[in-house]
Amino acid sequence: MWGEMKQALAQSTERFLTRFANLLPGTAALLVAVLISIVLGFLLAAIVRRVLTSMQFDQRLAQWGFRSSSEWPLLKSPTLLISRAIAASIIVAGFLIGIAAFDAEWTSLLARSIFAYIPNMLGAVLVLVVGSVIARYLSRSVLIGAVNLNLNYARLLSLGVRWLVLVLTVAMALEHLRIATGIVELAFGILFGGIVFALALAVGLGSKDIITKSLERDAQKVSGEKIEEPFRHV
Amino acid sequence: MAVEPIAEQPEQKVEPVKAADLVLGVIADIDQESLVTLCDSLRTLPGSPIVAALRNDQAAKPAGATSTAPEKNPSPYFIPWPSSKTDNPGTPAVNMATAYQSAFAVSEQLNARACCIVASTIENSKPDWIRQLVQPLLEEDFDLVAPQYALRKFEGLLNSSIISPLARCLYGKRIRNPMGPDLGMSRRLFTKMLASEKSAGSGNGIHPLASIAPAALCDNLKVCQVHVGPRTYPPPDWTNISSLVSQVLSPIFLDMEKRAACWQRTRSSVPLVSFGQPVLLPQDTGTVDISRMVESFKLGIRDLQEIWDLVLPPSSLLELRKLARLPLEQFRMPDELWVRIVYDFALAHRLRTINRDHLLKSMTPLYLAWVAAFARDSEAADAAAVERILERLALAYESAKPYLVSRWRWPDRFNP
Repeated sequence: MWGEMKQALAQSTERFLTRFANLLPGTAALLVAVLISIVLGFLLAAIVRRVLTSMQFDQRLAQWGFRSSSEWPLLKSPTLLISRAIAASIIVAGFLIGIAAFDAEWTSLLARSIFAYIPNMLGAVLVLVVGSVIARYLSRSVLIGAVNLNLNYARLLSLGVRWLVLVLTVAMALEHLRIATGIVELAFGILFGGIVFALALAVGLGSKDIITKSLERDAQKVSGEKIEEPFRHV
Repeated sequence: MAVEPIAEQPEQKVEPVKAADLVLGVIADIDQESLVTLCDSLRTLPGSPIVAALRNDQAAKPAGATSTAPEKNPSPYFIPWPSSKTDNPGTPAVNMATAYQSAFAVSEQLNARACCIVASTIENSKPDWIRQLVQPLLEEDFDLVAPQYALRKFEGLLNSSIISPLARCLYGKRIRNPMGPDLGMSRRLFTKMLASEKSAGSGNGIHPLASIAPAALCDNLKVCQVHVGPRTYPPPDWTNISSLVSQVLSPIFLDMEKRAACWQRTRSSVPLVSFGQPVLLPQDTGTVDISRMVESFKLGIRDLQEIWDLVLPPSSLLELRKLARLPLEQFRMPDELWVRIVYDFALAHRLRTINRDHLLKSMTPLYLAWVAAFARDSEAADAAAVERILERLALAYESAKPYLVSRWRWPDRFNP
């Protein structure tokens, strides 16, 4: 009995050690791949950053009509954004190469599915970046326009527009990532509808004064009262 | 503001006219009779210049150039505007730009000695002021004749608050209406304008009206002013001040960027040669309602902080916050503060700190605050007192110029 137990234990230990020994080259390959990719990523990022800085990429981008550095919502400047994105993608690629080095079927499958998922991730990131830039631009346009129209709820309108675009963007990004699409659609519908309803209420209630004033002005015009505005700007 | 290219070259339409001494571009609506009277008045100038008048299509015959008395005397000729853009829908400033470019092109083709653009309404009985605009060009060999209108104190406020004192401070000449829009130009100047338009290409955003006076002043051409009396023009659209501010200031700031090397050399200002007698209009001395403008400014202080933070230094923001807390009776904007605001916005426009259209439109509440403070300052003032207030503002522009130059040269290092 004792002998059989010892034998079973020895066999399982041997099996474990054999499997572990089989994993070692893969693990070492993963470590090496990750290390090399980290070094390569940071090296390439530094080169790209230096090249873009010497080209005055941020300023050129601003001159071409893109947002200036203070406008970039994710990072301090487009140069940093691009160099860090390059570093991150090289590190992720190195990790996936390392994973593929394991001689097991599941690691290959995992690597293959992750590689297949990369376009979705890139698409989602692009949607998020573009969406956040558009959200900022539109909210600022609405804010300035509303303030110039003397609307007291300008900030609310601007926030509403920003969140409308952001909610739409996040929903699109999640849809792109194929994460809980049903829930996302439902949640998006509820949120979007809620924001539109809240904005409609805010504008409707807040516009009472404007409509009253506008009607009064129209009535004055009809009755022939002269509205003299003393200020002329041009 | 985009400057549209001339859609149609004017060769075919001006073919019957071989040459003219003076090209008169009439943008304002004018009937046939008034135009003939005006041209006759111009023909009595020394040398009996041959006049070619550009006018709107409705008044002109479709066959192109015509002469009132071809057998005896070929002058004046009437030519429709080459591209007829003045009748198309669109922003008035763009149409004005197209009209100026067309007038320059026609003037060059006709080998004209001078070109005069008339944008204000011409009163039938008083075409003399146009003659006064032309006279220094033909008789005294001036290159640019700018108008000096007789204004009531609350007229031409954008010009009084920014355009005129900024041009004076930048280019060192005390020009009252650098952007006309009624201007007389010599051949030297309009060929220069045409050449710079061609080299810059279309769609560069620079409006010819914003460039004419700076081009003449930077190149040391002969510039003078003429007292032309009151100006008649349609009332402003109150709902659209932000677009107006953006449309007017954008080409000025663009031109300022283009001529930075020129204006950084200039230190003080000198008066220009003036012709004619100033006309003093009666000034209202009643109280004006500034509450709406102050309300707009307070709304800006409350909601536009995030934008102004990117443009204005903390000291200016602090002063603006203090200003917003003042009661209406004490509402005053110091000249120095206003001048710094204008300079900081010009700099932010150059650096593209934020989208340029957003930037200029966000300046509207600040401009309205200046208007409100000016109205409060000058509500009981007569014409002379208003002049003093505007002179004080112009001097503030000049004394703060080192601030502009420093920030322009070292925007990151010099930020008080």
